[in-house]
Amino acid sequence: MNEVNLSVQSGEFLAIMGPSGCGKSTLLNILGLLDTPDSGEYYFNGVPTAGMSELNRTRMRKGKIGFVFQNFNLIDELTVYENVELPLLAVRMRPPERKKRIMAVLDRMQISHRRDHFPQQLSGGQQQRVAIARAVVPEPGLVLADEPTGNLDSANGEEVMQLLEHLNESGTTIVMVTHSMAHAERAHRTVNLLDGRVIIDHRIRQFHIA
Amino acid sequence: MFIRRRMNNKLMAGISALNLIAGITAFLLISLFLQYHLNYDKHNRLYDRIYRLQIFSDVQYSSNPHSASVPAALGRHELTELPEVEKIAVIHSAGDDNIDGYYFSADPSSPVMIKSGSFSDSTIFDIFTFNFIEGSARDALTSPHTLVLSRASAEKFFPEGEAYGKVLYLENKIPLTVTGVYEDLPGNSEWRPEFLLPMQDYAEYTGYSNRDDNYWWYSFNTYVLLKKNADFKQVNEKIHDALKNYREYHYPYLRPLSKVHINAYFQPDMMIALGLFSFIALLILVLTSINFVNLQTADATSRMREIGIKKSVGYTYRELWWQFVGEAIAESLFCAMLALLVVHFGMPLYNRILGLDLGPGIFHNLQLIGVVMLVAVVTGFFSSLYPAFIISRYNPVKALKQRFLTLENNRISIKKVLVTSQFAISLFLVIVSFIFFKQADFMINKEMGFDKDDLITANIKTYRTGSFDPVRQRLLTFPEIKNACFTDYIPFILPGGDDMSWEGGLPDEKTFVRVYNVSYEYFDTYRIRITRGRDFSREYPSDREKCLVNETAVRVFGWKDPVGMRIKAPGKDWEVIGVVEDYVAQSVHNPIEPQTFRLMGDSVSLTGMYSIRYAPGKKQEAEAISRSVFEESYPGDAFNFEPFINHITSENATRIWGVFRNVSFMFASFSILISSVGLFGLVLYYCRRKMKEIGIRKVVGFSLFRLYMKLAGEFLGLIVLGIIISWAGAWIMYNKLPGAEKYGLQLPEFLIGTVIVVIVSVATISYNILVAARTSTASILKYE
Repeated sequence: MNEVNLSVQSGEFLAIMGPSGCGKSTLLNILGLLDTPDSGEYYFNGVPTAGMSELNRTRMRKGKIGFVFQNFNLIDELTVYENVELPLLAVRMRPPERKKRIMAVLDRMQISHRRDHFPQQLSGGQQQRVAIARAVVPEPGLVLADEPTGNLDSANGEEVMQLLEHLNESGTTIVMVTHSMAHAERAHRTVNLLDGRVIIDHRIRQFHIA
Repeated sequence: MFIRRRMNNKLMAGISALNLIAGITAFLLISLFLQYHLNYDKHNRLYDRIYRLQIFSDVQYSSNPHSASVPAALGRHELTELPEVEKIAVIHSAGDDNIDGYYFSADPSSPVMIKSGSFSDSTIFDIFTFNFIEGSARDALTSPHTLVLSRASAEKFFPEGEAYGKVLYLENKIPLTVTGVYEDLPGNSEWRPEFLLPMQDYAEYTGYSNRDDNYWWYSFNTYVLLKKNADFKQVNEKIHDALKNYREYHYPYLRPLSKVHINAYFQPDMMIALGLFSFIALLILVLTSINFVNLQTADATSRMREIGIKKSVGYTYRELWWQFVGEAIAESLFCAMLALLVVHFGMPLYNRILGLDLGPGIFHNLQLIGVVMLVAVVTGFFSSLYPAFIISRYNPVKALKQRFLTLENNRISIKKVLVTSQFAISLFLVIVSFIFFKQADFMINKEMGFDKDDLITANIKTYRTGSFDPVRQRLLTFPEIKNACFTDYIPFILPGGDDMSWEGGLPDEKTFVRVYNVSYEYFDTYRIRITRGRDFSREYPSDREKCLVNETAVRVFGWKDPVGMRIKAPGKDWEVIGVVEDYVAQSVHNPIEPQTFRLMGDSVSLTGMYSIRYAPGKKQEAEAISRSVFEESYPGDAFNFEPFINHITSENATRIWGVFRNVSFMFASFSILISSVGLFGLVLYYCRRKMKEIGIRKVVGFSLFRLYMKLAGEFLGLIVLGIIISWAGAWIMYNKLPGAEKYGLQLPEFLIGTVIVVIVSVATISYNILVAARTSTASILKYE
């Protein structure tokens, strides 16, 4: 990253584009408090995070940021239900409430009928829906998606984009890294990176702060 | 999830479980063995207050200056005057001094030899715990001509029970009334009589009277029960000089019962042996733990995705750390329970291997179960610390990107230390087990200095006197019989002795010398070589006043020309006419002591030991002939034939070394198994991590052989380092082995273990290379 100045509003849908190695995933990891910048400031919900310890970043991340990855990153030894349950276990939600929340999210993702299956028994699209379910089940304010449609065919990819759009419409801030211009244009704003710098910051459609 | 993950990778799960089960099983078995020895005599309720009277002889040379053979007089006089003493019991082994046991019979035609009996004061029941199943301790030994039996002895005559009040005949002559039957004493009892006779009958049965006031007759044992809170050291100070008017340099003292089995005579051999086994138990556990650490690390490093996801959703380092530690402890506990089952059902086999009775199972042994569970928890906890620390600290971004964790690649790293330790400990255990095995084998089978084969012995209790010659002549008329002799003691049955001085020694200089009374042809029958001078001969009647000595005696006395020199025994000087080659007379374990041999008279008691050498392969015939001749020569007297070899195999040190040999062999096998499992898992994991590299090297044209050498080379340095450490450690251990003699350490002991370790490593690497060779390169690269 090289002198990146960026702000993301609550409820905004931001798409980040750029060639391979330009720093898109690095930026996403910093936004998600998985990584720390070598220099500069990063404010998350108004809280400065530079110099924060790993423990404090984890605590800050817990329940507030959801991640969706290109390769789904589901745990093979856990069922669909158990994969989605993970973030709620991290925030120590009580079992009855946990179950209610998980079932609601699985219904929303239209994957509840496969809740007892293992990831290797699902198609790519289904796996990504589970991954999105896991990301949103703690009702985070921010969802970071790193090429969420990269490993999917166009039909499944379209399905995932619709889910992300619905999420954003219900108030979740989404930052998505993508190679697809068509998918990027569904965001409120696109940012193009090159060699670690923001070279284009383009508003596609109006965004109203809630 | 933990169980599912294990089921998805059954090979690694199986290796991990096998490692833990084998390691904990080995630890359990050694612990049982140690517990058996450390719990000797603890079944006695008053254990902490029981002491054995012993004597320390401060003479110049004695392989063992301490003895539990004491005069009865001390127990009858000096000890009774002490306020600290609550009870005293004097006992004496039953049988004559050279015959262990008596013949008993319900039917005079079928006497049965019962060994390991004692004459005893009735106060013995106030000191030791005897559980009576018939009769009671109150009146069991209070009347003359009575007998108390152990359950096992009683069942030989009264298999249906109800022995109380019945009559058995001692030596076919004296009727005795059974006044009690007690439960067999546990195997781990230092004193374990199979029958008891009242001490008041001692004089009548043995012909030795007036022993209660005799301070010179050292053949009794005396046990003392001190009052609560009494200090035995104060008692020792009071009785220290009790023998000064009778025997100079002899100092009686009380030895706590708790020390009698492990270290009765302040010789550390048993403690060293048990210490070595404890050390091995600990090492096996350490090896198991190291294996577990390596396998846990291997498993953990393939859980990158899980770690990355959990971190990304908000699991803290501490939560992940506890997850790993909890899983490790759970796995360890589960395997510990399986190990308990393995040991429980394997107890009959283990007991047979050891020749001990450690009990039919293990689930009654709550103390040991508790220890094992604790060990499992501790093992699981400490073994998981390193992998849990490494994994939970890993950057979540890297964790999500990589399939495998790349551990540190420093010159010296914890990982390399663990791997080297695994090699070193594995190899050390294997080598040491072999050394133990060979040392034990050497002790049992070593050259004794006499010919132990083709010999039968008989002991007779008879009131006849005379000479053995007529019986011998009758035996020799049979071609199957080659020679025969009569002695008071034979090799492996220890005689008494005395403190003696010698010609050329200083006036006050004395040493303890064992004394054997033998007939003509003793040395010939046992094929003991005479190295100087001559054997006893009928051509020299004056030989009755002369003696032979062994080479150790010559060395101790400092004689250059021993023939013609004199030994000064109490009351008489003996001229030496010959020197015999040293032979093992006492046990395989102890050093050879000075010995002197005197000729039996023409008219002696014919109660003693008869040794008969037969022609090879004619044992049964020889026994039949001997039995017939003895029945003719000693009508009505009870006697018993047995192969001489029984005296060797039943001797205490031989038995103990026999047990150690079997245990060593078992633990060599365990060590090899645990080492192999650990090495297999380690190399397997390592090769799997290298799959991508293997695929790429295949693409660029590496042959199988070069791939193999590349992988093996990465282990080579660690293996060599492990070998050096283990060989050095094994050498140190060899020098610590107890025993008067050690077998000569040779290269095979080191090489066998090294070869095994290397073969396992080679086999595992080969297996993985073959797997890679058969897998398509595209699959390997896609795997990454």
